Amino acid sequence: MTDTMPPSETALQNNPSRLPPDMRVSPSTWMRKNLFNNWYNALISVVAGVVGALLVFYFGRFVLVTGEWEAVRKNLTLLMTGVYPRNEQWRLVAQMYIIASALGLTWGTVTAQSLDRAEDTGVEKHRPTPIDLLRRYWAVLFMLAVILVLTQTIWPTLFTLSTIAVGLTVRSGAMRLPRSARQPCWYAAAFMAIVSFQVVSGTNGNAWWWTAALAAFIAMQSTANLETTVAWHRTALRIGSIAAAVVVVRIAYWLIGDTSSVSWDDWSGLYLTLVASGAAIILSFPLALLLALGRRSSLPVVRWLCVTYIEIFRGVPFIVLLFIAKIFIDFFLGADTPLSLTTRTIVVFTIFSSAYLAEVVRGGLQAVPKGQIEAGQAAGMQPPAIMRLIVLPQALRAVIPAMVGQFISLYKDSTLFAFISVVDFYRARELIHSQQEFTTTAIFETLVFAAFIYWAISYTMSKESQRLERHLGVGER
Amino acid sequence: MQKSISRLLALLGLLMAFSLIAASCGNDDDSSADAPSNTATPSATADSGADAEATPIVLAQNGGTLQTVLDRGNVRCGSRDDVPGFALLNDAGEYEGFDIDMCRAVAAAIFGDADEVEIVPVTSAERFTALASGQFEVMNRNTTWTATRDGDEGANFLFTTYYDGQGIMVPASTGFTTLNDLEDANICVSTGTTTELNLTAVFQARQIPFNPVTFEGFDTLVPAYEEGQCEAMTADSSVLGVFKYEIEQDGGDDQHIMTELISKEPLGTVVRDGDTEWAQVVNWATMATVQAWEFGLDSSNIGSYSGTDPNILNFIGAGQDGDGFNPGLGLPDDFAVHVVEQVGNYEEIFNRYPQLGVLEGSVNDLWSNGGLMYVPPYR
Repeated sequence: MTDTMPPSETALQNNPSRLPPDMRVSPSTWMRKNLFNNWYNALISVVAGVVGALLVFYFGRFVLVTGEWEAVRKNLTLLMTGVYPRNEQWRLVAQMYIIASALGLTWGTVTAQSLDRAEDTGVEKHRPTPIDLLRRYWAVLFMLAVILVLTQTIWPTLFTLSTIAVGLTVRSGAMRLPRSARQPCWYAAAFMAIVSFQVVSGTNGNAWWWTAALAAFIAMQSTANLETTVAWHRTALRIGSIAAAVVVVRIAYWLIGDTSSVSWDDWSGLYLTLVASGAAIILSFPLALLLALGRRSSLPVVRWLCVTYIEIFRGVPFIVLLFIAKIFIDFFLGADTPLSLTTRTIVVFTIFSSAYLAEVVRGGLQAVPKGQIEAGQAAGMQPPAIMRLIVLPQALRAVIPAMVGQFISLYKDSTLFAFISVVDFYRARELIHSQQEFTTTAIFETLVFAAFIYWAISYTMSKESQRLERHLGVGER
Repeated sequence: MQKSISRLLALLGLLMAFSLIAASCGNDDDSSADAPSNTATPSATADSGADAEATPIVLAQNGGTLQTVLDRGNVRCGSRDDVPGFALLNDAGEYEGFDIDMCRAVAAAIFGDADEVEIVPVTSAERFTALASGQFEVMNRNTTWTATRDGDEGANFLFTTYYDGQGIMVPASTGFTTLNDLEDANICVSTGTTTELNLTAVFQARQIPFNPVTFEGFDTLVPAYEEGQCEAMTADSSVLGVFKYEIEQDGGDDQHIMTELISKEPLGTVVRDGDTEWAQVVNWATMATVQAWEFGLDSSNIGSYSGTDPNILNFIGAGQDGDGFNPGLGLPDDFAVHVVEQVGNYEEIFNRYPQLGVLEGSVNDLWSNGGLMYVPPYR
């Protein structure tokens, strides 16, 4: 009996032979063991080391000393926002502040919710330190720093820093709100995102009461669970907040200006690349989920429809779909369709990627053993509940790497927009070299800059997916 | 299981019913929205579906383009964004160039405001389809007037704004001076243009073997040429002039443009086939720039003209007795004043872009100076 008893702490410390051996090795031992363990490995290591050092040296010298970054510096606005009217750029600034607030609100609410859970269950919550965040987002922060270094005035830097400050302030504010405010916070963040896009695209063709109705709905939902001592106070408060929402939207519309000075089609440069691929990623996921479920459905009509959709859009090159969206839609709907080119591009992008993503998701669904479903049935669960609570969580967790791979490739596919004369980030980079002074110079510099921007964002996406995988314990359970 | 399937079927049925209702609502919306704005109703276009298959161009062309443009409040002009001098998106995010100014002239004539123009960049390959589908009403995209384009492409070529010709450029160090020197040479050319066709036609006719190296645009072609991927590059001579200047400015090799031109390239304004009213509007708006030049009017003096030349008085819309003059083109009386004040006369526009070369004594000079710029009298 005494043998199976766990040894006490002191016993362990008194008997070093029972401690795990120290596996740390000094750098010199590691090198001797891995790089110079025989003569040909030593030779290869030396050659590779010299070549690597030379490459780093030449590239570093190019970036820091010999590179002529004037082409990027002078055209930074073109690269970032393309043809968006220069005297309307305050709209983009305003949007960034609104988005930062919405993100801060979301982040704060998410953190607060997990703290709530920790409080309820008594399980200690690991909170990320600033170092953790730096490690997670260093690529994007580095990208921001590079862009800001290339700016010509101090304003973009001040603006970026203040945007971050606004986001952080809103976050800490949101964390201090009472629990009953969690859901209204989500509503408010979504509403702010919608409004921010109305700011950048102008309000033309968009009746103010449409947004006002949305705001009123959110106000109504948010105040549904109000607790007051006097019954009529609650009603008065609800009516008051709905009225306030409507008034605020009307004033906001008056501020945004009901003019036609900007439209969706003015979105371009890196802004368009990010918005279009972001929208496609967000929209294609639920669509892909429905398609994947539909393809496995036992109803023949649903199955055939989903199979047809997937096979058609997976079988047609993206560029063909883009041309159809740009040119042939006009033949069917007439020249003055209200569908802007940007809308069409995003729709085509979503359709295309959802067909691919659906197959990825289906792969995940097939990986879930049938016994899991049967177990759910044995427990008396309804089919939708089995799907939602048992199958999907396992299926989606299994395909995170494949899905993120799809998202990254989608993000880079946005370079194909150039073929339908949409000025995305890469097209803006090409246009620099149509200008008289850069026709034949600085081509490598702009390429390196473009590659860096694409890399920084793709790398962060991949990093976040790895974190999500760790968080959900993929490969461990 | 049985129960859930029947429930799902019921749900599907409900969805289909909804979509039927939605579809019928959609149709109602279409007809009510379009009926007041246009002479041709959607039902008319739908009825002519059989004809439309034979000539799809007609489908997008309802006539009444001028009214459509007036209703919308701006004119959309197809152009490009990558040729300095003709049409370029500059580092301020604005379009500039000779072709862009011609687009602005149309807007100035119709609305009295040259800024009421939306530039729609298109690639060479898609331009005629985009024009036919109605993405823009006017196209100034250094497009050569050819019989096939006038016929099969459903394009209607108007006034020629720039007489060009295709040339060949080689590094001066090669010593090449004639086409025969280019035997077995790699020649850089942009794809989907008449440039490519001309090159093949001329070299085949003279039985000179060569390798065309094609590019989608000049932004990739020129660097490739500079790196020596080709022994020669070909383009319209105006474009070659731009790149010769730039390459030499940047410290590249000296360049030589062969004196022999291998084609005629009349570049001009293009509209869709089938709407003569609109064609007249665009044509006279464009020609006003040349007419003003011929009269000696420019952006500084046309607004304050106080002479008595009856032709000029008609041109500026004052009329000979001060009672106005309007030839019934569908434009305001004083459209020419707006065009010239806001965009300039032909000479001013041309000289704004040094990349286009020297106007004086060239083929693009006024007819009275021995050039080809000749417009019908405005009376």
